[in-house]
Amino acid sequence: MPNPTYPPNTVRALLHSDAVTPPTRAALLERLDAQPQAPQFFDAAEMATLRAACARLIPQCERENPIEIASSIDERLAAGKGDGWRYDALPPDGEAFRRGLRGLDQSADGEHNAPFAALNETQQDAILGSVQNGAARGEVWQTLSGARFFEELLADATENYYAHPLAQEEIGYAGFADAPGWVEIELNQREAREPEANHV
Amino acid sequence: MFDTEMREYSRDESVDALVIGTGSGGAPLLARLAGAGLSVVALEAGQKWNPARDFATDEKAQDKLFWTDERLSAGNDPLHFGNNNSGIGVGGSTLHYTAYTPRVQPDDLRLFSDFGVARDWPLSYADLEPYYDELETFLGVSGPNPYPWGPPRACPYPLAPLPLNGAAQLMERACQTLGIRTSPAANAALSAPYFRKGIGWRAACTNRGFCQAGCSTGAKASMDVTYLPLAVQLGAEIRPECFVINLETDAAGQISGVVYVEDGIEKRQKCRNLFLCGGAIETPRMLMMSGLANGSGQVGKNFMAHTGMQVWGRFDEEIRPYKGIPGSLISEDTHRPKDADFAGGYLLQSIGVMPVTYASQVARGRGLWGAELREHLRGYNHTAGINILGDCLPYEGNFLELSDEKDARGLPKPRIHFSNGENEKKMNAHAETIMRQVWEAAGARDIWKFDRNAHIIGTARMGNSGDDAVVDADGKSFEIPNLNLPDTSRFPSALSANPGHTIWALSLPPPHLF
Repeated sequence: MPNPTYPPNTVRALLHSDAVTPPTRAALLERLDAQPQAPQFFDAAEMATLRAACARLIPQCERENPIEIASSIDERLAAGKGDGWRYDALPPDGEAFRRGLRGLDQSADGEHNAPFAALNETQQDAILGSVQNGAARGEVWQTLSGARFFEELLADATENYYAHPLAQEEIGYAGFADAPGWVEIELNQREAREPEANHV
Repeated sequence: MFDTEMREYSRDESVDALVIGTGSGGAPLLARLAGAGLSVVALEAGQKWNPARDFATDEKAQDKLFWTDERLSAGNDPLHFGNNNSGIGVGGSTLHYTAYTPRVQPDDLRLFSDFGVARDWPLSYADLEPYYDELETFLGVSGPNPYPWGPPRACPYPLAPLPLNGAAQLMERACQTLGIRTSPAANAALSAPYFRKGIGWRAACTNRGFCQAGCSTGAKASMDVTYLPLAVQLGAEIRPECFVINLETDAAGQISGVVYVEDGIEKRQKCRNLFLCGGAIETPRMLMMSGLANGSGQVGKNFMAHTGMQVWGRFDEEIRPYKGIPGSLISEDTHRPKDADFAGGYLLQSIGVMPVTYASQVARGRGLWGAELREHLRGYNHTAGINILGDCLPYEGNFLELSDEKDARGLPKPRIHFSNGENEKKMNAHAETIMRQVWEAAGARDIWKFDRNAHIIGTARMGNSGDDAVVDADGKSFEIPNLNLPDTSRFPSALSANPGHTIWALSLPPPHLF
């Protein structure tokens, strides 16, 4: 059975209904309506590389307005926020990101004589794949673990994407409709406020 | 919480007991000591929340419940901290624990006698049992009567088990065909409204599925809605947003008080007894920063983290894994497997999962990205998991040290070295085979495992002698008699049960001990 798809435009209606508690509504609407901010932590070149990498890690070709991922990472680093731990093998988050992004550009330059953001998707994917496998070329990767950096970048991008209400709509998540509680919790049970999968 | 007026103590007054940390280790004893008429103050690094007003059903917004002062993870299996284990705020990690409350089995406490590895505990199941009984009744644990494993119980669970969700139904069905016994799990979340003197009414669980990122209804027995309001009513003072940075001693080497930071200002609180309840990282870190209680050389040593492998599968059935108590079904048939090639054993538990947590695990654990990642996540509503919770042995190479790097508070970041040993690898392999069989029998496709260790344990172990242990069976330091370490830091072995229930049991000492 293929993976289901879910109908669009359900999340905003739900968020404005009384099925959502005020703290949940406030948190999700803020994210849904966030405007992209000018980068504070990265410079323009770093930001271009980060955006290009995020666009391949979480491709959103079908979205007219892609969910902002790179800005969220920039915002986190500018605020000095972390998740409570880091691999001892990596330098502090901000430095790891700066060096890792420089590494992507070095690899791109070595392979194709151009910055990472200027490569086509196939070329970008090949470089990201080699970083993930610890096989990327470039001086940065001699002292920065490509595999660990890639894992951190991917986790950061993934968490930001799936924290977005539209990404949650995409996968049929309705847990944020939290005011009434759930009664129908068994297999194949669905409550009226849970979007029904499109039949394929 | 704290509807009643809270008593306040002077900082110059030497209080009978000062408790650092208001999680599983600190909260029950705070209530116990206050109830005995002692003057008690608790210092908590984090803030006090009003769950109904402050808790969103949103993982990112709830990051505030996790201890995010950075820790450095070293070793072959570097541990994930933050949302994987350590909490901050009035209530500590219980604000985001899963509410699973299995008891240990008697032989969990004697790994050395039975297998010649790790350490025996300097106490027995009979010592814990009356406290387990008391806790289950006080907290309102929902569980099955009878419970299929462990010794017969003096007290039944006070409430019926919570309803099974989709993942639990799948696991139950498959285990039946494989001859593995299962049971609805015991959870410290209410299956019916519950009244306790000193707390009042708590509402029944609404199946919101968000235990691991904060219960907004008070149905889950976190400390902020149970022992802490009781403690306040009995005369304890709780000071939130007070970060302890140093322990002080008098001329005789006894603890005389602590230095803490509140609103950027350094303050002192004098005390006659100190209970350090920061968990297995902050507790040894504080002892090391203060240079205290380490004559045995064991502070920071023997760090352990439960084996916690998860196996996930994709099903035709719609599961919607965000609904219902996450830990719905249990099996302890693997407590001491007959075909085991390892010491100890483990539990099997069905698991629900929140979307960001699952997506992050897919990214880290499987390394999926691009279109493949998005495609996989479109199957979220058809995803169910099982995990284990198993013993972990103490090893010399697994320890905590202070690094040269400073955190935002100017304190040395802890570096934690952790590698699974042969015993954990064999246990994981055994468990992976069983979990894959279960999911295959349940009709899963695309089965995959996520390597994981959970909970922070050890680093100030309890024993019979100060030569090779930090504290005695009552949690008292061998070197500094007015210093007590009540929580997981004193566990001599990890136990094959979620730790909360046992920490609470250790944190309910008879007041005559002080």
